[in-house]
Amino acid sequence: MKPAAFDYHTPADLDDVFDLFESYPEAELVAGNQSLGIVMANRLATPEHLIDLGGVDELRGIDVADDVARVGAMTTHRDLERSAALKETIPMLPDAARQIAGPSVRSRGTLGGSLAEADPAGNYPAALVALDGTLHLRSRDDARDVSAEEFFVAYMFTDLREDELIESVTVSRDPFPTDRTGMAFEELKRAAQTFPTVSAAAVVRVDDPDASEPVVEHARVALANAADVPLLVGGVSEAVEGEPLTDETVAEAADVAEAAADPAGELHADTEFKTEVAAEYTRIALTNAHERAIET
Amino acid sequence: MTEHTTSERPQRDVQLTVNGDAVTSTIEPRTKLSDYLREECNLTGVRVGCEHGVCGACTVLVDGEPVKSCLTYAVQVTDSTVETVEGLSDGSELHPIQEAFHEENALQCGFCTSGFVMSTKALLAEHPDPDDEEIEAGLCGNICRCTGYSPIYDAVYRAADAMEGGD
Repeated sequence: MKPAAFDYHTPADLDDVFDLFESYPEAELVAGNQSLGIVMANRLATPEHLIDLGGVDELRGIDVADDVARVGAMTTHRDLERSAALKETIPMLPDAARQIAGPSVRSRGTLGGSLAEADPAGNYPAALVALDGTLHLRSRDDARDVSAEEFFVAYMFTDLREDELIESVTVSRDPFPTDRTGMAFEELKRAAQTFPTVSAAAVVRVDDPDASEPVVEHARVALANAADVPLLVGGVSEAVEGEPLTDETVAEAADVAEAAADPAGELHADTEFKTEVAAEYTRIALTNAHERAIET
Repeated sequence: MTEHTTSERPQRDVQLTVNGDAVTSTIEPRTKLSDYLREECNLTGVRVGCEHGVCGACTVLVDGEPVKSCLTYAVQVTDSTVETVEGLSDGSELHPIQEAFHEENALQCGFCTSGFVMSTKALLAEHPDPDDEEIEAGLCGNICRCTGYSPIYDAVYRAADAMEGGD
Protein backbone atom coordinates (compact mmCIF):
# COMPACT_ATOMS: atom_id res chain seq x y z
CA MET A 1 0.00 0.00 0.00
CA LYS A 2 3.07 2.25 -0.05
CA PRO A 3 4.54 2.91 -3.48
CA ALA A 4 8.12 2.02 -4.34
CA ALA A 5 10.62 4.88 -4.18
CA PHE A 6 10.68 7.22 -7.15
CA ASP A 7 12.15 10.55 -8.13
CA TYR A 8 9.78 13.38 -8.89
CA HIS A 9 9.97 16.10 -11.51
CA THR A 10 7.89 19.25 -11.81
CA PRO A 11 8.18 20.79 -15.28
CA ALA A 12 6.87 24.36 -15.58
CA ASP A 13 6.12 24.25 -19.30
CA LEU A 14 6.00 21.87 -22.26
CA ASP A 15 9.67 22.41 -23.16
CA ASP A 16 10.60 21.20 -19.68
CA VAL A 17 8.37 18.17 -20.16
CA PHE A 18 10.06 17.21 -23.45
CA ASP A 19 13.52 17.70 -21.88
CA LEU A 20 12.49 15.30 -19.13
CA PHE A 21 11.15 12.80 -21.71
CA GLU A 22 14.64 12.71 -23.18
CA SER A 23 16.43 12.46 -19.83
CA TYR A 24 14.09 9.78 -18.45
CA PRO A 25 12.52 7.85 -21.31
CA GLU A 26 11.01 5.32 -18.89
CA ALA A 27 9.35 7.96 -16.72
CA GLU A 28 5.61 7.95 -16.12
CA LEU A 29 3.56 11.12 -16.58
CA VAL A 30 1.29 11.85 -13.65
CA ALA A 31 -1.78 14.08 -13.82
CA GLY A 32 -4.28 13.77 -10.95
CA ASN A 33 -2.84 10.45 -9.68
CA GLN A 34 -6.30 8.99 -9.10
CA SER A 35 -5.56 5.91 -11.23
CA LEU A 36 -1.77 5.75 -11.32
CA GLY A 37 -1.75 6.25 -7.54
CA ILE A 38 -3.81 3.09 -7.11
CA VAL A 39 -1.57 0.87 -9.21
CA MET A 40 1.53 2.38 -7.58
CA ALA A 41 0.04 1.79 -4.12
CA ASN A 42 -0.38 -1.86 -5.07
CA ARG A 43 3.09 -1.87 -6.66
CA LEU A 44 1.65 -3.01 -9.96
CA ALA A 45 3.56 -0.01 -11.31
CA THR A 46 6.96 0.96 -9.89
CA PRO A 47 8.21 3.85 -12.02
CA GLU A 48 11.58 5.29 -11.02
CA HIS A 49 10.64 8.75 -12.25
CA LEU A 50 7.35 10.63 -12.19
CA ILE A 51 6.86 13.74 -14.30
CA ASP A 52 4.03 15.76 -12.75
CA LEU A 53 2.09 17.86 -15.26
CA GLY A 54 0.32 19.74 -12.47
CA GLY A 55 2.51 22.84 -12.87
CA VAL A 56 2.18 23.13 -16.65
CA ASP A 57 -0.40 25.89 -16.79
CA GLU A 58 -0.79 25.80 -20.57
CA LEU A 59 -2.40 22.34 -20.25
CA ARG A 60 -5.21 23.60 -18.04
CA GLY A 61 -8.35 25.53 -18.79
CA ILE A 62 -11.67 25.67 -20.62
CA ASP A 63 -12.21 27.95 -23.58
CA VAL A 64 -15.55 28.02 -25.37
CA ALA A 65 -15.43 30.04 -28.59
CA ASP A 66 -18.17 30.49 -31.19
CA ASP A 67 -17.02 27.59 -33.32
CA VAL A 68 -15.25 25.25 -30.93
CA ALA A 69 -15.00 24.26 -27.25
CA ARG A 70 -11.48 23.49 -26.04
CA VAL A 71 -10.57 21.81 -22.76
CA GLY A 72 -6.98 21.49 -21.60
CA ALA A 73 -5.80 17.99 -20.65
CA MET A 74 -5.00 18.96 -17.05
CA THR A 75 -8.45 20.35 -16.38
CA THR A 76 -9.94 18.55 -13.38
CA HIS A 77 -13.29 16.78 -13.39
CA ARG A 78 -14.48 19.37 -10.86
CA ASP A 79 -13.63 22.26 -13.18
CA LEU A 80 -15.40 20.55 -16.07
CA GLU A 81 -18.41 19.78 -13.90
CA ARG A 82 -18.72 23.39 -12.77
CA SER A 83 -18.09 25.08 -16.11
CA ALA A 84 -21.08 27.30 -16.93
CA ALA A 85 -19.79 27.79 -20.50
CA LEU A 86 -19.72 24.03 -21.12
CA LYS A 87 -23.10 23.45 -19.47
CA GLU A 88 -24.47 25.99 -21.92
CA THR A 89 -22.85 24.61 -25.07
CA ILE A 90 -21.58 21.01 -24.68
CA PRO A 91 -23.48 19.84 -21.59
CA MET A 92 -22.46 16.23 -22.08
CA LEU A 93 -18.96 16.99 -20.83
CA PRO A 94 -19.97 18.44 -17.42
CA ASP A 95 -22.60 15.72 -17.17
CA ALA A 96 -20.02 12.99 -17.77
CA ALA A 97 -17.57 14.67 -15.36
CA ARG A 98 -20.15 14.95 -12.58
CA GLN A 99 -20.77 11.19 -12.69
CA ILE A 100 -17.13 10.23 -12.07
CA ALA A 101 -16.60 8.76 -8.57
CA GLY A 102 -17.02 11.21 -5.65
CA PRO A 103 -15.93 14.83 -5.11
CA SER A 104 -12.59 13.88 -3.56
CA VAL A 105 -11.57 12.03 -6.72
CA ARG A 106 -13.00 14.68 -9.02
CA SER A 107 -11.04 17.47 -7.34
CA ARG A 108 -7.76 15.79 -8.42
CA GLY A 109 -8.54 13.63 -11.46
CA THR A 110 -8.17 15.14 -14.93
CA LEU A 111 -9.59 14.89 -18.43
CA GLY A 112 -6.21 14.00 -19.95
CA GLY A 113 -5.44 11.38 -17.33
CA SER A 114 -8.72 9.63 -18.02
CA LEU A 115 -8.25 9.74 -21.79
CA ALA A 116 -4.67 8.48 -21.63
CA GLU A 117 -5.66 5.65 -19.30
CA ALA A 118 -8.26 4.68 -21.91
CA ASP A 119 -10.32 2.44 -19.70
CA PRO A 120 -13.23 1.44 -21.94
CA ALA A 121 -15.55 2.03 -18.95
CA GLY A 122 -14.34 5.61 -18.59
CA ASN A 123 -16.79 8.48 -19.08
CA TYR A 124 -14.85 10.90 -21.28
CA PRO A 125 -13.80 8.37 -23.93
CA ALA A 126 -17.44 7.48 -24.72
CA ALA A 127 -18.59 11.09 -24.41
CA LEU A 128 -15.92 12.35 -26.82
CA VAL A 129 -16.65 9.61 -29.33
CA ALA A 130 -20.35 10.56 -29.22
CA LEU A 131 -19.41 14.23 -29.68
CA ASP A 132 -16.93 13.39 -32.46
CA GLY A 133 -14.26 15.23 -30.47
CA THR A 134 -10.62 15.66 -31.41
CA LEU A 135 -7.53 15.06 -29.28
CA HIS A 136 -4.58 17.40 -29.80
CA LEU A 137 -1.29 15.58 -29.24
CA ARG A 138 2.09 17.24 -28.83
CA SER A 139 5.66 16.06 -28.99
CA ARG A 140 8.85 18.10 -29.12
CA ASP A 141 8.78 18.53 -32.89
CA ASP A 142 5.27 17.64 -33.84
CA ALA A 143 1.64 18.44 -33.19
CA ARG A 144 -1.11 16.22 -34.53
CA ASP A 145 -4.85 15.86 -34.21
CA VAL A 146 -6.57 12.52 -33.79
CA SER A 147 -10.30 11.93 -33.66
CA ALA A 148 -11.59 10.37 -30.44
CA GLU A 149 -12.84 7.43 -32.45
CA GLU A 150 -9.35 6.69 -33.79
CA PHE A 151 -7.48 7.48 -30.57
CA PHE A 152 -8.74 4.43 -28.67
CA VAL A 153 -7.07 1.46 -30.32
CA ALA A 154 -7.65 -1.50 -27.99
CA TYR A 155 -8.23 -2.24 -24.33
CA MET A 156 -6.37 0.52 -22.42
CA PHE A 157 -4.24 1.11 -25.49
CA THR A 158 -4.20 4.35 -27.46
CA ASP A 159 -2.64 5.99 -30.48
CA LEU A 160 -0.43 8.14 -28.18
CA ARG A 161 3.28 7.73 -28.94
CA GLU A 162 6.00 7.43 -26.29
CA ASP A 163 7.25 10.96 -26.98
CA GLU A 164 3.80 12.56 -26.98
CA LEU A 165 1.31 13.91 -24.50
CA ILE A 166 -2.31 14.99 -24.76
CA GLU A 167 -2.42 18.77 -24.85
CA SER A 168 -6.15 19.41 -25.16
CA VAL A 169 -9.44 18.22 -26.55
CA THR A 170 -11.77 20.14 -28.83
CA VAL A 171 -15.39 19.64 -29.76
CA SER A 172 -16.77 21.46 -32.78
CA ARG A 173 -19.91 23.42 -31.89
CA ASP A 174 -21.15 23.49 -35.47
CA PRO A 175 -23.22 20.27 -35.29
CA PHE A 176 -24.72 21.23 -31.91
CA PRO A 177 -26.75 24.49 -32.09
CA THR A 178 -27.90 24.93 -28.50
CA ASP A 179 -31.50 25.78 -29.38
CA ARG A 180 -32.23 22.42 -31.00
CA THR A 181 -29.64 19.98 -29.65
CA GLY A 182 -29.92 17.70 -26.63
CA MET A 183 -27.25 15.59 -24.96
CA ALA A 184 -27.34 12.87 -22.32
CA PHE A 185 -24.78 10.76 -20.50
CA GLU A 186 -26.42 7.87 -18.65
CA GLU A 187 -24.57 5.27 -16.65
CA LEU A 188 -25.52 2.19 -14.67
CA LYS A 189 -23.27 1.47 -11.72
CA ARG A 190 -23.52 -0.47 -8.50
CA ALA A 191 -21.96 2.22 -6.34
CA ALA A 192 -20.78 5.76 -6.95
CA GLN A 193 -17.10 4.93 -6.81
CA THR A 194 -17.08 1.87 -9.05
CA PHE A 195 -16.66 1.96 -12.79
CA PRO A 196 -20.05 1.78 -14.49
CA THR A 197 -21.42 -1.52 -15.80
CA VAL A 198 -22.32 0.20 -19.08
CA SER A 199 -22.84 3.86 -20.00
CA ALA A 200 -24.49 5.45 -23.00
CA ALA A 201 -23.66 8.89 -24.40
CA ALA A 202 -26.20 10.34 -26.80
CA VAL A 203 -26.57 13.53 -28.79
CA VAL A 204 -29.70 14.41 -30.78
CA ARG A 205 -30.35 17.41 -33.03
CA VAL A 206 -33.81 18.15 -34.41
CA ASP A 207 -34.84 20.41 -37.29
CA ASP A 208 -37.34 22.54 -35.37
CA PRO A 209 -38.03 22.08 -31.67
CA ASP A 210 -41.31 24.00 -31.96
CA ALA A 211 -42.77 21.81 -34.69
CA SER A 212 -45.54 19.42 -33.70
CA GLU A 213 -43.31 16.49 -34.71
CA PRO A 214 -39.69 17.63 -34.82
CA VAL A 215 -37.60 15.58 -37.23
CA VAL A 216 -34.30 14.14 -35.96
CA GLU A 217 -31.55 15.56 -38.16
CA HIS A 218 -28.57 14.10 -36.37
CA ALA A 219 -28.14 11.41 -33.71
CA ARG A 220 -25.03 9.77 -32.36
CA VAL A 221 -24.65 7.23 -29.55
CA ALA A 222 -21.46 5.84 -28.02
CA LEU A 223 -21.28 3.19 -25.31
CA ALA A 224 -18.74 2.78 -22.51
CA ASN A 225 -17.73 -0.66 -21.26
CA ALA A 226 -19.70 -2.43 -23.98
CA ALA A 227 -16.54 -3.38 -25.90
CA ASP A 228 -12.77 -3.14 -25.40
CA VAL A 229 -12.87 0.46 -26.66
CA PRO A 230 -15.55 3.17 -26.44
CA LEU A 231 -18.06 1.96 -28.99
CA LEU A 232 -19.71 4.21 -31.57
CA VAL A 233 -23.04 2.61 -32.45
CA GLY A 234 -23.02 3.57 -36.11
CA GLY A 235 -26.45 2.15 -36.94
CA VAL A 236 -28.24 4.53 -34.58
CA SER A 237 -28.13 7.35 -37.12
CA GLU A 238 -29.87 5.22 -39.71
CA ALA A 239 -32.46 4.04 -37.19
CA VAL A 240 -33.64 7.45 -36.00
CA GLU A 241 -32.57 10.18 -38.44
CA GLY A 242 -34.88 11.73 -41.02
CA GLU A 243 -38.11 11.23 -39.06
CA PRO A 244 -39.64 12.19 -35.71
CA LEU A 245 -38.39 10.14 -32.75
CA THR A 246 -40.93 7.47 -31.79
CA ASP A 247 -40.96 4.45 -29.51
CA GLU A 248 -40.43 2.36 -32.63
CA THR A 249 -37.36 4.21 -33.91
CA VAL A 250 -35.85 4.25 -30.41
CA ALA A 251 -36.47 0.52 -30.11
CA GLU A 252 -34.76 0.03 -33.45
CA ALA A 253 -31.75 2.02 -32.18
CA ALA A 254 -31.67 -0.10 -29.02
CA ASP A 255 -31.68 -3.26 -31.16
CA VAL A 256 -28.77 -1.88 -33.16
CA ALA A 257 -26.86 -1.17 -29.92
CA GLU A 258 -27.58 -4.66 -28.66
CA ALA A 259 -26.19 -6.15 -31.86
CA ALA A 260 -23.11 -3.89 -31.79
CA ALA A 261 -22.24 -4.48 -28.13
CA ASP A 262 -19.43 -6.93 -27.52
CA PRO A 263 -18.77 -6.64 -23.79
CA ALA A 264 -16.46 -8.70 -21.61
CA GLY A 265 -18.21 -10.39 -18.71
CA GLU A 266 -17.45 -9.19 -15.19
CA LEU A 267 -18.03 -10.58 -11.70
CA HIS A 268 -21.27 -8.65 -11.21
CA ALA A 269 -22.41 -8.39 -14.81
CA ASP A 270 -22.04 -11.16 -17.36
CA THR A 271 -21.90 -10.60 -21.11
CA GLU A 272 -25.61 -11.21 -21.60
CA PHE A 273 -26.60 -8.70 -18.91
CA LYS A 274 -24.22 -6.01 -20.16
CA THR A 275 -25.58 -6.46 -23.68
CA GLU A 276 -29.13 -5.93 -22.39
CA VAL A 277 -27.99 -2.86 -20.47
CA ALA A 278 -26.33 -1.49 -23.62
CA ALA A 279 -29.70 -1.64 -25.39
CA GLU A 280 -31.69 -0.21 -22.48
CA TYR A 281 -29.24 2.63 -21.81
CA THR A 282 -29.17 3.49 -25.50
CA ARG A 283 -32.96 3.86 -25.26
CA ILE A 284 -32.73 6.01 -22.09
CA ALA A 285 -29.93 8.23 -23.38
CA LEU A 286 -31.56 8.81 -26.77
CA THR A 287 -34.92 9.58 -25.17
CA ASN A 288 -33.41 12.04 -22.68
CA ALA A 289 -31.23 13.72 -25.31
CA HIS A 290 -34.28 14.11 -27.55
CA GLU A 291 -36.35 15.57 -24.72
CA ARG A 292 -33.65 18.17 -24.10
CA ALA A 293 -33.40 18.93 -27.82
CA ILE A 294 -37.05 19.83 -28.09
CA GLU A 295 -37.31 21.70 -24.80
CA THR A 296 -34.33 24.01 -25.38
CA MET B 1 14.05 -1.34 -10.38
CA THR B 2 16.98 0.36 -8.72
CA GLU B 3 17.53 -0.57 -5.09
CA HIS B 4 18.05 2.55 -3.01
CA THR B 5 19.41 2.71 0.48
CA THR B 6 17.47 5.15 2.62
CA SER B 7 20.10 7.87 2.36
CA GLU B 8 20.34 7.56 -1.43
CA ARG B 9 16.62 7.78 -2.10
CA PRO B 10 15.42 10.93 -3.82
CA GLN B 11 14.30 13.74 -1.52
CA ARG B 12 12.20 16.79 -2.25
CA ASP B 13 11.18 19.85 -0.29
CA VAL B 14 7.56 20.42 0.56
CA GLN B 15 5.92 23.40 2.19
CA LEU B 16 2.31 23.48 3.25
CA THR B 17 -0.03 25.44 5.44
CA VAL B 18 -1.64 22.83 7.66
CA ASN B 19 -4.53 23.93 9.86
CA GLY B 20 -3.14 27.45 9.72
CA ASP B 21 0.48 26.56 10.51
CA ALA B 22 3.31 26.78 7.97
CA VAL B 23 5.13 23.44 7.69
CA THR B 24 8.32 22.78 5.72
CA SER B 25 10.04 19.42 5.31
CA THR B 26 12.39 17.47 3.11
CA ILE B 27 10.76 14.15 2.30
CA GLU B 28 10.78 11.25 -0.10
CA PRO B 29 8.51 12.09 -3.06
CA ARG B 30 6.65 8.83 -2.50
CA THR B 31 5.41 10.07 0.88
CA LYS B 32 1.65 10.17 0.70
CA LEU B 33 -0.06 13.27 2.02
CA SER B 34 -1.85 10.98 4.51
CA ASP B 35 1.44 9.66 5.90
CA TYR B 36 2.98 13.13 5.87
CA LEU B 37 0.13 14.56 7.93
CA ARG B 38 0.16 11.65 10.38
CA GLU B 39 3.91 11.21 10.79
CA GLU B 40 5.45 14.63 10.17
CA CYS B 41 2.59 16.77 11.51
CA ASN B 42 1.34 14.30 14.12
CA LEU B 43 -2.22 14.76 12.87
CA THR B 44 -3.47 11.23 13.45
CA GLY B 45 -7.09 12.25 12.93
CA VAL B 46 -6.24 11.54 9.29
CA ARG B 47 -7.16 7.86 9.16
CA VAL B 48 -5.38 5.42 6.91
CA GLY B 49 -7.77 2.65 5.91
CA CYS B 50 -7.40 1.10 2.47
CA GLU B 51 -4.53 3.26 1.24
CA HIS B 52 -5.66 2.98 -2.35
CA GLY B 53 -8.49 5.43 -2.71
CA VAL B 54 -11.51 3.35 -1.80
CA CYS B 55 -12.54 4.02 1.79
CA GLY B 56 -12.28 7.81 2.13
CA ALA B 57 -11.13 7.68 5.76
CA CYS B 58 -8.10 9.81 4.80
CA THR B 59 -10.19 12.64 3.27
CA VAL B 60 -8.78 16.11 3.99
CA LEU B 61 -9.35 19.51 2.38
CA VAL B 62 -6.69 20.90 0.05
CA ASP B 63 -7.35 24.54 -0.81
CA GLY B 64 -10.91 23.92 0.33
CA GLU B 65 -11.57 20.90 -1.90
CA PRO B 66 -11.91 17.36 -0.54
CA VAL B 67 -9.02 15.10 -1.47
CA LYS B 68 -8.11 11.48 -0.74
CA SER B 69 -4.80 12.09 0.98
CA CYS B 70 -3.67 8.50 0.28
CA LEU B 71 -3.94 9.15 -3.49
CA THR B 72 -1.96 12.37 -3.29
CA TYR B 73 1.79 12.58 -2.77
CA ALA B 74 2.61 15.40 -0.39
CA VAL B 75 5.00 16.91 -2.96
CA GLN B 76 2.11 17.25 -5.43
CA VAL B 77 0.33 19.79 -3.24
CA THR B 78 3.32 21.84 -2.08
CA ASP B 79 2.36 25.49 -1.44
CA SER B 80 -1.25 24.46 -0.74
CA THR B 81 -3.42 24.95 2.30
CA VAL B 82 -4.47 21.73 4.01
CA GLU B 83 -7.20 21.30 6.59
CA THR B 84 -7.66 18.16 8.68
CA VAL B 85 -10.25 17.29 11.30
CA GLU B 86 -7.91 18.72 13.94
CA GLY B 87 -8.34 22.13 12.34
CA LEU B 88 -12.09 22.26 12.89
CA SER B 89 -12.21 22.99 16.57
CA ASP B 90 -10.15 25.26 18.77
CA GLY B 91 -9.88 22.50 21.33
CA SER B 92 -12.63 23.35 23.77
CA GLU B 93 -15.77 23.33 21.66
CA LEU B 94 -16.79 20.95 18.93
CA HIS B 95 -17.37 22.26 15.41
CA PRO B 96 -21.10 22.15 14.51
CA ILE B 97 -20.43 19.21 12.17
CA GLN B 98 -18.64 17.27 14.93
CA GLU B 99 -21.42 18.18 17.35
CA ALA B 100 -24.03 16.94 14.88
CA PHE B 101 -22.26 13.59 14.36
CA HIS B 102 -22.09 13.24 18.15
CA GLU B 103 -25.74 14.16 18.74
CA GLU B 104 -27.08 11.93 15.97
CA ASN B 105 -24.89 8.92 16.89
CA ALA B 106 -23.52 9.08 13.37
CA LEU B 107 -20.67 6.76 14.25
CA GLN B 108 -20.01 3.54 16.07
CA CYS B 109 -16.36 2.57 15.82
CA GLY B 110 -15.50 6.07 14.60
CA PHE B 111 -12.70 5.10 12.25
CA CYS B 112 -14.36 6.65 9.19
CA THR B 113 -15.68 9.70 11.02
CA SER B 114 -12.97 12.26 10.42
CA GLY B 115 -13.17 11.54 6.69
CA PHE B 116 -16.94 11.91 6.74
CA VAL B 117 -16.69 15.13 8.75
CA MET B 118 -14.27 16.66 6.24
CA SER B 119 -16.40 15.56 3.28
CA THR B 120 -19.42 17.06 5.05
CA LYS B 121 -17.57 20.35 5.46
CA ALA B 122 -16.89 20.47 1.71
CA LEU B 123 -20.46 19.41 0.95
CA LEU B 124 -22.02 22.14 3.11
CA ALA B 125 -19.71 24.76 1.63
CA GLU B 126 -21.15 23.94 -1.80
CA HIS B 127 -24.71 23.07 -0.71
CA PRO B 128 -25.54 24.82 2.60
CA ASP B 129 -29.04 23.29 2.55
CA PRO B 130 -28.53 19.88 0.92
CA ASP B 131 -31.19 17.31 0.03
CA ASP B 132 -30.75 13.52 0.18
CA GLU B 133 -29.40 13.37 -3.35
CA GLU B 134 -26.79 16.05 -2.72
CA ILE B 135 -25.72 14.36 0.50
CA GLU B 136 -25.32 11.06 -1.33
CA ALA B 137 -23.30 12.71 -4.08
CA GLY B 138 -21.17 14.62 -1.58
CA LEU B 139 -20.38 11.68 0.70
CA CYS B 140 -20.19 8.84 -1.83
CA GLY B 141 -16.41 8.80 -1.57
CA ASN B 142 -16.59 7.73 2.06
CA ILE B 143 -17.43 4.27 3.39
CA CYS B 144 -18.93 3.54 6.83
CA ARG B 145 -19.33 -0.07 7.86
CA CYS B 146 -21.11 0.55 11.18
CA THR B 147 -23.99 2.97 10.90
CA GLY B 148 -25.84 2.05 7.72
CA TYR B 149 -25.48 5.76 6.80
CA SER B 150 -28.92 6.83 7.98
CA PRO B 151 -27.63 8.63 11.13
CA ILE B 152 -24.94 10.25 8.99
CA TYR B 153 -27.64 11.83 6.81
CA ASP B 154 -29.35 13.01 10.02
CA ALA B 155 -26.06 14.51 11.19
CA VAL B 156 -25.55 16.36 7.92
CA TYR B 157 -29.06 17.83 8.15
CA ARG B 158 -28.46 18.83 11.78
CA ALA B 159 -25.12 20.41 10.92
CA ALA B 160 -26.69 22.29 8.00
CA ASP B 161 -29.33 23.70 10.35
CA ALA B 162 -26.74 24.62 12.97
CA MET B 163 -24.47 26.29 10.44
CA GLU B 164 -27.19 28.32 8.77
CA GLY B 165 -25.62 31.65 7.97
CA GLY B 166 -22.08 30.25 7.89
CA ASP B 167 -19.78 28.55 10.37
